[in-house]
Amino acid sequence: MSASRREFLKWSAIGGAALVLPLPSPVREKTDAASSPFAPNQWLRIGSDGKVTLVIARSEMGQGVRTCLAMILAEELEAAWSSISIEQASPGPLYEDMNTGGSDSVESSWMLLRRAAAAAREMLITAAATEWNVKPADCRAENGSVIHAPSGRHLSYAKVARAASALPVPKEPALKDPKDFRLIGTRVRRIDGPDIVTGRGRYGLDTRPSDALFAALERCPVAGGKLRRFDASKAKAVPGVVQVAEVPSGVAVVARDSYAALSGRDALKVEWDEGANAGLSTAELLRRLDAASKETAHVSRREGDVERALGGAATRVSGTWRDAFQGHASIEPQNACARVSSGSCEIWAPTQNPQRVQKEAAKLLGIAPEGVTVRVTLIGGGFGRRLGADYATEAVEVARAVGRPVQVVWSRADDFLHDRLHPAGRADLEAGLDASGRIVAWKHRFTSFHLSMFGPFNPNADEPDVDPWGGYDNPYAVPNLTVEWIAVESPIHTGAWRSVEYPANVFARECLLDEIAHRTSRDPVDLRRELLVGEFPFASRKVDRGRLRAVVELAAAKSGWGTPLPARPGRRVGRGIACNVYHGRTALAHVAEVSVGEKGDIRVHRIVTAADCGQVVNPLGLEGQVESGVAWGLSYALKGEVTIERGRVVQANYRDFPVLGIAEMPRVEVHTIAGPARPTGFGEQPVPPVAPAVANAIFAATGRRVYRLPIRPEDLAG
Amino acid sequence: MAKFRLTVNGRSRKVDAEPDTPLLWVLRDRLALTGTKFGCGVGVCGACTVLQDGKDVRSCQVPVSQASAHAYTTIEGLSPNGRHPCQLAWIDEDVAQCGYCQPGMILQAAALLAAKPRPDDADIDEAFAGHVCRCGTWQRVRRAVHTAARLGGAK
Repeated sequence: MSASRREFLKWSAIGGAALVLPLPSPVREKTDAASSPFAPNQWLRIGSDGKVTLVIARSEMGQGVRTCLAMILAEELEAAWSSISIEQASPGPLYEDMNTGGSDSVESSWMLLRRAAAAAREMLITAAATEWNVKPADCRAENGSVIHAPSGRHLSYAKVARAASALPVPKEPALKDPKDFRLIGTRVRRIDGPDIVTGRGRYGLDTRPSDALFAALERCPVAGGKLRRFDASKAKAVPGVVQVAEVPSGVAVVARDSYAALSGRDALKVEWDEGANAGLSTAELLRRLDAASKETAHVSRREGDVERALGGAATRVSGTWRDAFQGHASIEPQNACARVSSGSCEIWAPTQNPQRVQKEAAKLLGIAPEGVTVRVTLIGGGFGRRLGADYATEAVEVARAVGRPVQVVWSRADDFLHDRLHPAGRADLEAGLDASGRIVAWKHRFTSFHLSMFGPFNPNADEPDVDPWGGYDNPYAVPNLTVEWIAVESPIHTGAWRSVEYPANVFARECLLDEIAHRTSRDPVDLRRELLVGEFPFASRKVDRGRLRAVVELAAAKSGWGTPLPARPGRRVGRGIACNVYHGRTALAHVAEVSVGEKGDIRVHRIVTAADCGQVVNPLGLEGQVESGVAWGLSYALKGEVTIERGRVVQANYRDFPVLGIAEMPRVEVHTIAGPARPTGFGEQPVPPVAPAVANAIFAATGRRVYRLPIRPEDLAG
Repeated sequence: MAKFRLTVNGRSRKVDAEPDTPLLWVLRDRLALTGTKFGCGVGVCGACTVLQDGKDVRSCQVPVSQASAHAYTTIEGLSPNGRHPCQLAWIDEDVAQCGYCQPGMILQAAALLAAKPRPDDADIDEAFAGHVCRCGTWQRVRRAVHTAARLGGAK
């Protein structure tokens, strides 16, 4: 019987009465600050009933951030997990950074939240010690109470909350020694799980004031186009439609319910001036990409003299690796609800970036940002798409035009058509080997489109030296290395997408290394071990290559690397490895086991993952992120892509853009190494090495090198 | 507009709606049962799955005009207290990530177990072939269905 099974049976056996009570919801919708006597800072409150409210200032989109941040607070507070409720923060002066991107939430909240909760714990201990007239040093906090050790006396937080609130807030509270952690590092289930399984969880589409109307927009299908004219007569004839309004983002059909809004929008006749991009196709975009890849590049990293080393190399190995345009395709389509009154505005949105929503809405309305209240809902999949603010500002446009609260709903086709796509890229790599097979030169050049979600293309902008991700932070010890980066102006909407440009660059880098191993008759794991010694430069500091080497070795050992794979009749089998360090922090390796049929059909049977992300806050959540990253990476490597014809996205549904289904999900096994005391990110990190691990396994199985994603069976047939 | 009488979660409900309105939107916008999710609108993602006389259907594909003859169960009505074996198994296995597609999957699991109390992995894969989960919770979905079966999810 597994530990979780025992835990469950114990938990489900909690008395007859508990079993018939509704599953409790730990999520509080409304602020009840006034009823909490103890509120030492913006992160936590304790009520006179002992209920602890923790405030979460990052967006929950499936990565488990509410649970992790609550665990960090509860750990230092010494609160009982069962006493905790969580509340979602809204942007304001108390919350400096609410952006939920870059897999940064846990890492950047770690010390901030620990200090906040430790300060509260010290105040509660001091209050109890004062009440008992004993030394605070003789007291400790545990499970929501202060305990005086010498006498064994207890006082619950509920009883000391009021007295504690009168005390000064310590500036430098003592943090717990990590060896005393009781909650951090344990397997904690999602704090909002009961809401999700009962349908009570409120996503964007479920959240609106009772007097809200509904709207669907017709937006120009081609980026940069303008409205010429529209005929609303048929739309207005749809029962339930109350108004058709032109807004800067398009034409809005406003109705009494979602279906009428969507039907009315479909009945609208709109004529667009589609502008300069009307003839754009994938072929044209790739032509521009290929042309740009020959131009002068920005050099983001240079060590030694790569051209000279290549010139003197005994063997040169090169290739061009490509990936495709990709959609986000989160299951909750984009949406937002807004209410606009004079001088103020209220927005309900599933957003990863509420501060950007606040700022852009304020700018649109010409009011101060403080006048805009943004209420962040649960997010039905973010993946970078909701770091933009377009879906929210257009709701503000419609609500302003209508003079009533309006919820803007997007159809699935709208969500594809107006996605902020992951842009296609090409990575041109070349390595030089000396006569003994040692790598003496490595050249990495990446060309892709700029991400329009973050602003217009600026050819004169200072090129950052932290691009391309997966290139600039090449972890391998090579004496002569150059990394180059070319950004092309994107004529279509592009944006952040789970791990951004890492997947394309790690795909190229890890496949070239695999090819070098093959050409020099070395084992791909042994080659990586040789190259992962010492440190590599990362911004102004150095990263220990040994952390990556350790995860490579662990993944290899756990996967049975070097042992024969079971034969599969009619199929060719192989194993492949790939690894990456995400921005100098989390190190991760995957070993993939695949089989390839005669017609080139690919099955991924097993992924073994090893990772070092420092202190693991919640192993249960971390394993889920690996499973999720593997599924995302396999969809990217094997499934759909977005194409452009006549300036617009062709795909309109999951039929045209398939993602990994249940029958295709491999067994995923996760192993971690205890690294530095500080946790580092884990939402995006499992994605980048998936495609190259699979591509290298395909090579091991078939002898065919994969150069383009998604991989097509016809590339591997026979 | 026409009047329709629906049976949802054991209660009789009267709604005014256009006859072609999908049951999905009637549940969400008229009856405030927002646990039934809109994902694709064309019956390929499974997020709007509800039980129709105990069997899974895509509520975006059922016009309200054809709904009166049946009894529907949504996630809100699967159990009186959120403790249906499938819901408990989903919590126990910590299945949900973003969670948006999960109410539809839980109802799919309930329908599967009603038809096949001890499904194997192939049965589960077949039953969930019509669901999309962009977070990739599949490994845990399989485990949770087996757990729910052991907890008596067939009842």
